[in-house]
Amino acid sequence: MIIRSSKHFIGMFLLLLSALIYSGCNRDAAPDKKTATDGSRQLVVGVSLMNLSSEFIVLINKAMLESAKDMGIKLIITDAQRSAEKQVQQIETFIGQKVDAIILNPCEVEASSPAVDTAIAAGIPIINVNSATKSTPTAFVGSSDEESGRIAMEYIVKRLSGTGNILIMQGYMGQAAQIKRDQGADEVLAKNAGIKVLARQTAEWDRAKAMSLMENWIQTFGSKVNAVYAHNDEMAMGALIALENAKLKDKIVVVGVDAIADAVQAVKAGRLDATVFQDAAGQGRTAVKLAVKIAKKEPFEKETFIPFQLVTKENVDKFAR
Amino acid sequence: MQCPSDKSKSAMLAYVLKQYGIVIALILICTALSFCSPHFLTWPNLITVTRQISLNGILAVGVTFVLLTGGVDLSLGSLVALTGVVAASFAHPGDYPLIIPVMAGILAGMACGAANGVVITRGRVAPFIVTLGMMTIARGLALVISGGKPVSNMSPSMTRLGGDFLGLPIPVLVLCGISAVSWLFLKNVRLGRYIYAVGGNENAARAAGINVNGVKLLAYTICGAMAGLAGVILAARITTGQPNAGLAYELDAIAAAVIGGTSLSGGIGGVGGTLLGALLMGVINNGLDLLNVSSYYQQIVKGIIIVGAVWLDRKHGK
Repeated sequence: MIIRSSKHFIGMFLLLLSALIYSGCNRDAAPDKKTATDGSRQLVVGVSLMNLSSEFIVLINKAMLESAKDMGIKLIITDAQRSAEKQVQQIETFIGQKVDAIILNPCEVEASSPAVDTAIAAGIPIINVNSATKSTPTAFVGSSDEESGRIAMEYIVKRLSGTGNILIMQGYMGQAAQIKRDQGADEVLAKNAGIKVLARQTAEWDRAKAMSLMENWIQTFGSKVNAVYAHNDEMAMGALIALENAKLKDKIVVVGVDAIADAVQAVKAGRLDATVFQDAAGQGRTAVKLAVKIAKKEPFEKETFIPFQLVTKENVDKFAR
Repeated sequence: MQCPSDKSKSAMLAYVLKQYGIVIALILICTALSFCSPHFLTWPNLITVTRQISLNGILAVGVTFVLLTGGVDLSLGSLVALTGVVAASFAHPGDYPLIIPVMAGILAGMACGAANGVVITRGRVAPFIVTLGMMTIARGLALVISGGKPVSNMSPSMTRLGGDFLGLPIPVLVLCGISAVSWLFLKNVRLGRYIYAVGGNENAARAAGINVNGVKLLAYTICGAMAGLAGVILAARITTGQPNAGLAYELDAIAAAVIGGTSLSGGIGGVGGTLLGALLMGVINNGLDLLNVSSYYQQIVKGIIIVGAVWLDRKHGK
């Protein structure tokens, strides 16, 4: 027993030691505000991202890193992994590190608000990117999700010449993007009485779930369906594959949102009818530029909306990556 | 599929009723659905249902092995993502013959399963903790390998694995195949029966000279291999390897096994019940979509039916 417990003790000790060494390394990586080549102090910007396992956020991150390199500033990137609580802690850490500005990609409208409040209270400018919080940040960069819903639905109305039956595949229920992408589409639907919504159902942004849902819908509605509007491309791709397997695709228009690489490829190949491009890189670049402007106390825009764009076979080459 | 050892008449009766509990629930729900929707009881829809349960079915059969030893595997969903990404990385057109991505996916799953098994048996850490750790490790690996983006551009021979063969979905054929093999293994092979023995009473099994650690390691490895198979099939079906795929799949798989009468404390249950459990869950899912039940209510209805089915099962079992 004694041997066992001392073994345990050594094990725990080693674990603790490695944790300490690891955190020490992290501290080395923390801002030391070294001077840039031109003699002026290098700006340090803290970034808290909602979720680095989402393709869209990965694109924002990539664009931010690139423009930070171009502008000679230092970014500290953290990933909140969808947890608003973790996000607030990350902002607190940034404040402790005395960063020059913070870029926040909020997890949630309400729950991420304390992050904005604490930064403002500490006198550090904070820029929200991609989605909003209830508290007003120093500046905001993003796109208004209603617009993407409007663009997608207007395209469907045009393709169906104002009459037909459609299905709507919703994102994760209750999330801002789901609510707004519904709202935008509903605005267009209100003006077009000829378009009937046969069903609305969530597939939780997920391709496999969307495929199952579409398969079930094919059983119920079959050839009555004229178009499918999915709140994101992952689901549009799932619906597309299910329709292709059922040999129904040539009769049904499918539209998604986000213009992820796979969907752009599918548009190019003439499989997917359209998607709506949300400019992740544009959002990321603008956020970094704003952070630098604000930190240098230059005049800046309080709100920047990066427009969505419809992607169809005609203009797809512009978006191919 | 395990018969009570005393084989007394009342125990046999209870056993039969217990087996029928889930069948009764399934028949009740199917009858109700065929009255509610004209589309339910059609050949294409029934094929659709089987296609939709195939992934959960494969995972559930895999986790049944682990549950029978008295363990649990929470890493399944992440393993599906990891193995799908691994398979997709080898499946670009013109890269390798089809066997390579398929084997890569399955072997990756086996390796993770075996790692779970080794830490659980040699390190004597609770399966809940080890597989919880593997859940985040595998998810992280999937994100590292894929760079956070879906691995697309898959060869047609790979995507065909998600399609049909002689009018029957290939995933369903795979499920049937592995179920038959698992059923025979658990019923007729000595090593298979050892799995029940270990879950039933670990100390007694050890006293009887069974290599308990070896049996457990085998169960986790089989479970991992099945997760790998499911990952390959999912990737083929959705034509990409998605690092975010498979969220909470482990819960559906465990639910299917438990609904089908496999005990969470080990030693009781089997593949037949697990398949029925997966079928019940698939039918509910399909039916609610056919009836266009609102997404909010769907979640409530699903929960109630799952608990209800198990309750019915247990009442008859007593």
